[in-house]
Amino acid sequence: MSARGRAIAAVALRRFLRAAWQARFGLRRGHARRQAFGRQLRLACEELGPAFIKLGQLASVRPDVFAPETVFELERLQDRVPEVPGAEIEAILAAELGAAPEKIFSAFESQPTATASIAQVHQATLAEDYRPVSGAVLPRGSRLAVKIIRPGIETFIAEDLALARRWARRLARLPGMARLRPESLLEEFRDTLASELDLRNEGRVADRFARDFADDPLVVVPRVVWRHTTRRVLTTEFVEGWRLNDLGEAERAGIDARRLAAHGAEVFMQQVLVHGRYHADLHPANLFVTPDSRICYLDFGIVGRTTPAERIAIAQVLAATVYGDAERALHYSRELGLEVPEDKAPAVRARVADLMKTHLAGREQADVRGFALGFLSMLADFRIPIPEGYGLLIKALITVEGVARAIYPDIDIIQSAKPFATHLIAAQLARPERLRERVPAALKAALRELLA
Amino acid sequence: MQDLVRMLAAWALVHESADEGWKAAVTRGRKLEPGALEEGPEAFVDGLAALVAEEKERLKQEIANVGAEGQQDITRPAELGQKLDAVAFELAELRGRLESLQASVDAIAARGED
Repeated sequence: MSARGRAIAAVALRRFLRAAWQARFGLRRGHARRQAFGRQLRLACEELGPAFIKLGQLASVRPDVFAPETVFELERLQDRVPEVPGAEIEAILAAELGAAPEKIFSAFESQPTATASIAQVHQATLAEDYRPVSGAVLPRGSRLAVKIIRPGIETFIAEDLALARRWARRLARLPGMARLRPESLLEEFRDTLASELDLRNEGRVADRFARDFADDPLVVVPRVVWRHTTRRVLTTEFVEGWRLNDLGEAERAGIDARRLAAHGAEVFMQQVLVHGRYHADLHPANLFVTPDSRICYLDFGIVGRTTPAERIAIAQVLAATVYGDAERALHYSRELGLEVPEDKAPAVRARVADLMKTHLAGREQADVRGFALGFLSMLADFRIPIPEGYGLLIKALITVEGVARAIYPDIDIIQSAKPFATHLIAAQLARPERLRERVPAALKAALRELLA
Repeated sequence: MQDLVRMLAAWALVHESADEGWKAAVTRGRKLEPGALEEGPEAFVDGLAALVAEEKERLKQEIANVGAEGQQDITRPAELGQKLDAVAFELAELRGRLESLQASVDAIAARGED
């Protein structure tokens, strides 16, 4: 075994033993046990470096595979990586763009604005006017954000993934682990990572988002400067604002926080239900609030997609949840692939109704996170498999609530969603194909009433 | 009533369907005797279906006449505008890709010169 292999094995073993101790070697059950393992998994990823941090971040958007406690623990993964020295960054830029940064940009800051496990961001100034794919021309002198892939990260990740694959193969042989499909899951993660390491993909998604929300004055998507963008470099306009983490009372006082929070939730619903593509990696660091009260979306590395049929079913599930109708929510969840066995259906329905009552209807301020966590735990308790898209969506919805509350802590996302859900269902019912299905029966029923 | 029938006819025309149930209702409705509509909801719906089908044919004829006179269909410019927007965006995306490729080509060329 290589030195790196031994290091990974040592960390994994130490963290596993610690989790086992915290779970009192299986004496603690359910939530406490899952929380102990989730926490040690997060710490192991942080200890093992960029490739594992990234794997953990990918796992954090997969509640269909991992327990909710693990998913929410992994969401807290911290990128504590040293910054890449300015000289190395300048060398990468020269290799990628064909000239030194000072020749490409009119100014380039060698001190990074942000560092993360995969890339580092520097500020620069645009040397010439640029016409982006969407939106107005960026004038010369515009401030830019230049995101650069860390040197050697591809090789480092490939080596760690090769080792992880060996471990996954062994894990798959253990009873109880085959259900997680470690090998195919790792393959999926490898593909997602490969896509994330090519920054042009992120630029394309950003352009599409910018187009989807071109008519929305409250949404900002930084314009991509393709002339200075390659596989390892993504150059966009720099948007001034506060990350949600940094949004304090003073900043909130200067913006229309309530309106912005409600709009943020609606924008997410539009992404899922109207445009069919949504930012699936929303967290407070990926969102800015600008001083002129707009929301700026960043980092389009993980994107979820919905088909037209899924959108109809999701809208129905959303409306049913908003209005507290457990039966309807489960009925349309089936169309999204959630299979509840007949014998478990009454118990599941009762638990969902109870969760809705406890977390959504029976409170002054709805608690979507509590509801969703309870819902995911309930599915785990009943051993009901969660379809991938369904899990991603639940996770995203929880995040949207978190984001909206970071902007305006008193927001009730359920109340905000009601008008949108109602409007959407009405619009769907008015679609010709739905009318064709429903009008004859509705007409007959109405006439029967009239002529009775 | 005429407006309602015309609206339903317009809807049936735009969403021309080969629904067997609908066709059967039209056939039954055409065979109804005067006064049969009061026999119950089924007869009423059949009668209405026949009325709508008749109105649909009339509407079709009107549209054909308008087309023959060289007038434009008012829905087309909006649709064309949307399609044009979509194509313009794809073209802009393509320009972006080309610019990015150009940057990579320039970088390779610069390395060759070193």
